[in-house]
Amino acid sequence: MKNFRVILQATLKSFIRDRLLQLLLVCALCIFLIVPALSLFSMRQVQELSVTLSLSAISIILLTLTVILGSSSVWRDLDRRYLASILGLPVSRTSYILGKFTGIVIFILLGCLLLGLVATAVIALVSAQYPSDVPLSWPQIWIAILSDGLKYVLVAAVAMLFSSLSTSFYFPFIATLVIYFCGSASQEVYEYITSDYGKTLSAVTRSAINSIYYCIPNFAAFDFKVHAVYALTLQLPGLLFAGTYFILYTSIILMIAVWAFNRRELA
Amino acid sequence: MSALSITGLSKTYRDKKLQKVNALVGLDLAVAHGEVFGFLGPNGAGKSTTIKSIMGLLKPTAGTIQVFGVTAKDPESRRRIGYLPENPSFFDFMTAREYLKFVGSTYGMELSAIRNESVRVLELLDLTQAADRPIRGYSKGMVQRLGLAQALVHDPDMYILDEPMSGLDPIGRALVKDIIRDLKQRGKTIFFSTHITADVEAVCDRVGVIAKGVLESVDTVDNILEKGVVGYAIRFCRAEGAEEEQLVSREELDATLRQLLESSAVIKTVEPKRKDMESFFLSVVLRS
Amino acid sequence: MRYRLLFVLLIASYVVCIVPFASYMKRRPVAVKLGYVPSAEVLRIVVGDQKLLVAHAAIVKVLVYFGTLLDKHPDSKLVLPAEYLNMYKTLQTSVKLDPYNNDAYYFAQAAFTWEVGRAQEVNLMLDYGMKYRTWDYMLPFYAGFNAAYFLKLYEPAASYMKKAAEISGNPLLTNLAARYFFESDKSELGIKFLEMMEKSTKDEQVRKLYHVRRTALVAISTIQGAVNRFKEQNGRLPERLDEIVEQNILKQLPVDPYGGRFYLDNSGSVKTTSKFAFGEHK
Repeated sequence: MKNFRVILQATLKSFIRDRLLQLLLVCALCIFLIVPALSLFSMRQVQELSVTLSLSAISIILLTLTVILGSSSVWRDLDRRYLASILGLPVSRTSYILGKFTGIVIFILLGCLLLGLVATAVIALVSAQYPSDVPLSWPQIWIAILSDGLKYVLVAAVAMLFSSLSTSFYFPFIATLVIYFCGSASQEVYEYITSDYGKTLSAVTRSAINSIYYCIPNFAAFDFKVHAVYALTLQLPGLLFAGTYFILYTSIILMIAVWAFNRRELA
Repeated sequence: MSALSITGLSKTYRDKKLQKVNALVGLDLAVAHGEVFGFLGPNGAGKSTTIKSIMGLLKPTAGTIQVFGVTAKDPESRRRIGYLPENPSFFDFMTAREYLKFVGSTYGMELSAIRNESVRVLELLDLTQAADRPIRGYSKGMVQRLGLAQALVHDPDMYILDEPMSGLDPIGRALVKDIIRDLKQRGKTIFFSTHITADVEAVCDRVGVIAKGVLESVDTVDNILEKGVVGYAIRFCRAEGAEEEQLVSREELDATLRQLLESSAVIKTVEPKRKDMESFFLSVVLRS
Repeated sequence: MRYRLLFVLLIASYVVCIVPFASYMKRRPVAVKLGYVPSAEVLRIVVGDQKLLVAHAAIVKVLVYFGTLLDKHPDSKLVLPAEYLNMYKTLQTSVKLDPYNNDAYYFAQAAFTWEVGRAQEVNLMLDYGMKYRTWDYMLPFYAGFNAAYFLKLYEPAASYMKKAAEISGNPLLTNLAARYFFESDKSELGIKFLEMMEKSTKDEQVRKLYHVRRTALVAISTIQGAVNRFKEQNGRLPERLDEIVEQNILKQLPVDPYGGRFYLDNSGSVKTTSKFAFGEHK
């Protein structure tokens, strides 16, 4: 782990100089320009809609960022033959993977913070013009934004795992997206099959879905959007569960990624 | 203790049809301190597989590799190595100077030392002009020279160079040979692979020839060249004055010379006629 | 070695945490689960060509959570109303995205008329749907029933039923249409309707709902019959419903499946404290 910091610095430098990411950032800021206009489509819920749209915009932008960074980082180093040069230095593969991952995490969280600030400005602007009877609660909104950020850190860990297994870009890219969508839907599917509706399914199907539910990440845990939109009181257990779940799941995924990458042949 | 010691190194791949392919079979090799070792073999013979195993990029199927007594599995074993990969490629968003700083940091060098050494190696490899431009815009030869620069920057004790001359123009090749000779004078150990026999002849102490994954021969360059002598050309003048040349075999040399001297001829030169490194290499490879 | 130990430790913690985590997630308030669906005008722009998918996803969401609400209270004693508005709005959004999606109308009819008493809004939604689903006799059939049974608007009810009868060619509907011209026995009408719906329903949850209602209506109808007999025999209304049992007209009073208590109002009709809604009484 001696050279973790060196790899981290190089990774951050590569992101800062990446044209694609610069473009993405500009697009992201443009999206926020249209949020106030779109919010006017709601007759009675202009403020609520501006919160929803801002949160959704952040979510979509971060998803794009995460999936691109997470699935391209190892692939790019491999594809452009950087990896032989880097790992020929006294850099352990563990520091390489963790350095890369930390770089991505820092970038996601910075992006999240930046977009959060822009969203705050947009929401404040809209709600000042069209006051709503629902109070605007900034703590809820920021918790929703930051927990969304954590969710994407978890997605990045998943992408990192797939990247460290694969030589192509498409496999980690698609696999991460699939996990993302499954993980976002798993809670609803789980509740569906554990309800009366599920009794029509065969026992095998149900236990298969059950075990998938317990294995794939559950992104519903990080969803505090409704709390933000309607200023509902947040419950401490919910936040604690989300935090614990995040730490455990991310660590496990990363350990598997490091383990897999250490066993890889880099011909 | 050797600088580099490889024992029983084997590597088996499975190809796309899941057939076993033996890339390396029971390779034993020891490179002594301060030695320049040339690793000669045709394309696909297993040179790169060996070097990648030394660098820990590939996991050997069997055998051990030690660098200054440290197993190659440990990233720390690479601390005393300067490595130039085959057809190298470096973070192209950095400038050469930034990349050398990156490399120096991984070896734990002080920033000031990195700065000074970077200036030295960039000058040595004629990259000073381009040092602050992104690597993205470099030619193939420039990248190759940067590859050498980044292997030199922390002044390691051993150099592992995979095809160091490839992609270089004649001036570059001469430069690299000079650098290798210089390193040898400073007591550094050098292990480099090539498929060009002239390079080996020019700078190596010893040479190993690998073909189809088997190390066929390891010998000193002097030995090989001596063994390759097939006969001698003797130029001499008899009393009448006209210069003559006679070709004799190894065995006949003594008798012929004695005869000539007795006939009071003046011997001008005796030149050995020999097979060069190339024909030696070809004979080893064809035999395998 | 330390690496493996840490890994095993993490896995173990994960296993320990995941069970309470899953059960916490399941217990989250319905409001949180149902989420917030932006209005149709915005969604139409944002979702592009995935309107049908989003519309259906919204319906499924409402259906599943409606199911979980019933599930948690198999004895049908439950505080529901809070989320009805949200569910109704979600369905509204859904039909605006996809006016052809039958599930939305069907579910609105099932969920928002009886317990919530939003027959008028449901009929508005049905009117909207009829413009698109011109071949579907179920929509005017629902609307006709709602108009007559809940809103007591017999003239529009008859014309809805006529429309339904014309589309379907079903004599039963023609018959019903004819009956709406008179104010007939409401309970009997309701029982007929519910019976028909219960038979035609595939969804287990909704069938359960219809069944509960029918049981309640049958109970009321039975008691009403008994009250009428009591009046014939005694020339007066019973003061308490228990008198019916005391006079052996009924062996026992039926139970209100909604958890309420039956009583007799001043005009002599049988009512229940539950008003056919889960919760609100006591």
